[in-house]
Formats: sequence, structure tokens, C-alpha cells
Amino acid sequence: MKFQIPIGPQHPALKEPISLRMTVEGEVIRDADIRLGYNHRGLEKLAEEKSFLQDIYLTERICGICSHSHATCFVQGVEKLMELAPPKRGMYIRYLVSELERVHSHLLWLGVAGHEAGFDSFFMYTWRDREIVMDLLEMISGNRVHYAINTIGGVRRDLDEGQKAKILEGTATLRARSEYYFHIGASEPSFVARIAGVGRLTKEQAETLCAVGPTARASGITRDVRKEDPYAVYDEMDFEVGTADSCDVLGRVVVRVKELLESYKIIEQIVRKLPEGPIVVKAPRKAKPGEVVSRYEAPRGENIHYIKSNGSEKPERLKVRAPTLANYPATVEMLRNGFIADIPLIFAAIDPCICCAERAVTLVDVRSGEEAIVRLSDLRRRAAERGPNAVLKRNAPWPL
Amino acid sequence: MSDADIIQGLQKDLGAKALELTNPDRRRIFLKVAPADLVAAVTLLRDRYDCAHLATISGVDKGETFEILYHFASRAANINVRTEVPKAAPRVATICPVIPGAILYERELQDMFGLVVDGIPDARPLVTPDDWPAGNFPLRKDWKYERPEEKIPGGKP
Repeated sequence: MKFQIPIGPQHPALKEPISLRMTVEGEVIRDADIRLGYNHRGLEKLAEEKSFLQDIYLTERICGICSHSHATCFVQGVEKLMELAPPKRGMYIRYLVSELERVHSHLLWLGVAGHEAGFDSFFMYTWRDREIVMDLLEMISGNRVHYAINTIGGVRRDLDEGQKAKILEGTATLRARSEYYFHIGASEPSFVARIAGVGRLTKEQAETLCAVGPTARASGITRDVRKEDPYAVYDEMDFEVGTADSCDVLGRVVVRVKELLESYKIIEQIVRKLPEGPIVVKAPRKAKPGEVVSRYEAPRGENIHYIKSNGSEKPERLKVRAPTLANYPATVEMLRNGFIADIPLIFAAIDPCICCAERAVTLVDVRSGEEAIVRLSDLRRRAAERGPNAVLKRNAPWPL
Repeated sequence: MSDADIIQGLQKDLGAKALELTNPDRRRIFLKVAPADLVAAVTLLRDRYDCAHLATISGVDKGETFEILYHFASRAANINVRTEVPKAAPRVATICPVIPGAILYERELQDMFGLVVDGIPDARPLVTPDDWPAGNFPLRKDWKYERPEEKIPGGKP
């Protein structure tokens, strides 16, 4: 017998409004359907009515975690349209903030993954460490979330020697902490057993469904815009693309831990090589008619903005594609043939942060269309009945 | 493969089908095809130019026509395929059989521009609400948002 379980759009445990409809057969998910648009803000339309400068602050508000990603993607596109060459020091500071943002986002995600897997001390460790990088970002930009450091033609704030020393000091602490996470799986087999084999996405599926970022890299695809299409300062940096080939949530954890270590490498190189000079050049108000495709590797994956200008001070069209949208078709495949209990883990693994510690779910009988509220105790009994038959992934190896 | 190689190859493979082929910036290639040749061009890009990754689809309202851009990314370059359909008959063929990951972008295109994607496997609205009035396509240039009058339930009439 097949049931449909709706999760969301309004749900005490959902951080964002999204509706997931799972078709389940017992505890096994047979199909999933994602419905978006509960929080559509009409941002692309709004951007057409604001000037390029105002749009920086608008695009910064697309996301609350990777706010710098969208603003940077937009700004580097507009700079191309205006044929500006921002000074080197400004560029270094801009991409220093990018890497610090990646560190804070990945630490946040590792905590969420630990929490969803029932490993709450990991969550508390990573979020405590995340404060270090949040403080660094606040020191550089004055803000913890919306850094507002970008402007057309450079950045708005400079770095001094004291700040450089503090960044290096913070990075050293974080590196030591991340190396500990690098080995955590070896001493914590229950965490590895919980995430190994969950949410499988084969390389072929990731390729055809156009997955991006750590989700794709965990399936063995070495796609990273920083390496593939090196923008701004990345061709001067020495770093590697972290991949994993286990194609599951374990792989996604591994990729993000590897990326953390690579980000520290980039941060140290940027701070050490920071050139002298101005941080910003004066930008014109208007851009010549033209179009540009700007790509940026956000913490969640490839971010792409298409900007078309018509010669005025406002863009003719701004198309934004955030990485999470690109990962939704892949998420449906990951959920298929998984267990209900794995939904929060799989969904969190693409990093939109959603969990479902639900007390009562509405079950829709596919055949009769009747809805029934099931109590938690009933679910627990059903789980216990299935429990002895479930496949256990004992002794899964930690790949690092 | 350098940009020049890709352009030369595309010119040879597509022949007269390539209406316009430009390279405005390093690693950025813009190719224009007629709507009828779109699926063939996309298939060629996927099979011969390593463009299995579709980054997104952008629609642009150009007054009399809609321009649709398919942004592909390969390891060598960013190839953008554009096609133009008249506003009077806004129909374009689906590329989902070739690139299954295009489904969400095509659904968004239908919602936002009122384009009809022929043969789309799933035509339900993606981002507009279920009770969205028919014939309202927000990203068309002639569409203006009018804020509905606020009514406080139980307030003064």
C-alpha cells in the first residue's frame, strides 16, 4: 500500500517554507515531489527597477548564509559590463571574505549534518568553532551576516596589519580543529554508520540532473567553478578540488571537510600575498548595452547570474540561479528508495537546512484519498516492526 | 579545447543552423539557433562538446519577442545557446529528453513568461501559487504589480 506524506510548507522544524510530498510504501520512499514558491520574493523583477549600485544590496539579501556569494557574482558581472578593472588589493579582500564565508557555511553545515545524524556534540563543536570565523568576518566588514563589503569597482573596507595577524591566528586555530574533524570518523564509527550509504546519487545521475557543488563532488564529479573557470584571483591560488566517490551523505561530509582545509590554504595565501595599493576604483553610473554571464562557486555550488544591460543605470534583466535550485532534481533521486527517517539527513545534505522531527504526520491513502493522523506511538510501533528487517551498515570505513 | 577551436567546430558541425556565433569574453561563447534547431543543437553540445551540465535557462522579454538562453558549462567553456520566439506564439520545444536536469528551469520559464514548453514532462506551476490568476506572467515587461488593498478582518468597513 502506498501513502503520501506531506512535509511542509509550514512546519515547526522547517527553516524555510518548502513543500515535500513523499509517496511511501511502508517506511520506504518510492517517490518525492517538491513544490516551491511559498516565499517567492519577485527579486528578479525588483532588480530591473533599481540601479546597479542598489542591486548589490538587493542581491546580497537573496541568501542569509551565503550573502556574499550573490553580491560578488553580481558585482563581478557588472564590472565586466562596465569594463572596469578593480585594483588587486580590492580583489584579494573580496575573495578573502568569500573564503571566510565558505568556512563559516561549511562549519554550519557540518553541525547540521551532525545534528541530523544524532551526533549533537559534533554540532556543538563545529558551531563553537564557527564563532571564530564569524568574529573575523565581523572584524573585517562590521557585520556578521550581510557583510556589504562589495561595491562596483572594488571593496568598501581595507585591512590593516593587526587584522591580518588576527585572520592568520584564527585560521590556524580553525585548521587544527578541522584536522580533528578530519579524523573524527575513525574514532566515531556510529556517526559513519549512520551516514554511509544514505541518499545515494550515482555519478551518472548527478551528471544528467545537473547537480552542483559538494553534492556533485561527493559523486565523483570534479566540477568547481574556481578551478574550471577561474575568476578573479583563483588562478593565482594553489588549492585542490575536494571530491569523494562514495556518492552518499558520508561523501558529502568528506567533501566539505576537505574543502574547509583547502579554504584555509587559500585564506593564508591571500593574506600573505595581499598587495599594496588602492582598494577601489571609481565606477560609472551606467553600463553600456551588453550581456554577461557571471559564475561563482558559492559554498553550496555553482552560482550563476545572467545580466543584460540596456545603456541605462538599471539592468534590463537579471537572472539569478542559486545552487540549491540546481540540486533539487538530484534530491528527488537521493530520496527515492530511502527511508522516512533519512529524509532530514538527505535533505540537509544538499544544505538547505531542513529537518523533520514531526510529532504527527498526515497520511493520505493513495487509493481512497482519505487522510489519517497517525500518532507518534503508532509510528514507533511500525518502526519497531520493521526494525529487525532493516539493513544495518555496520563497519563502514571512514575514508579519510 | 580553446574558444577558437570550439567556435570553429560549432561552425563546421552546425553549418547554416548557427545563426550567430560570438565570443565576447574569454570562455564565454554565445550561439544563436532557430527554435526548430534547438533540440538538435543541445544534443550536439551534450554529445560532442561535453556540455551535459546545464547551469540554467534565462528568459528575456525583448518587446516583440522572447529570447531564451540556455547556459551550458563544460570544462573548456561556458556555451550559451540562445533562441528567439515571437510573443504572439510563445512556444519552444522541451530539452528534458536530452538534459533531464532542465525540468525546473523550464517550469520556471512557463510560470514567469507564459511560454509554452512543448512536451514538458511536468507542466505544473513551480513558483507561482495555486490560486495565481491566469494570464499573469510577472517577468514580462508589461506586467506591473499592483498591491491589493489591505483589509483588516473585523476592522472598520
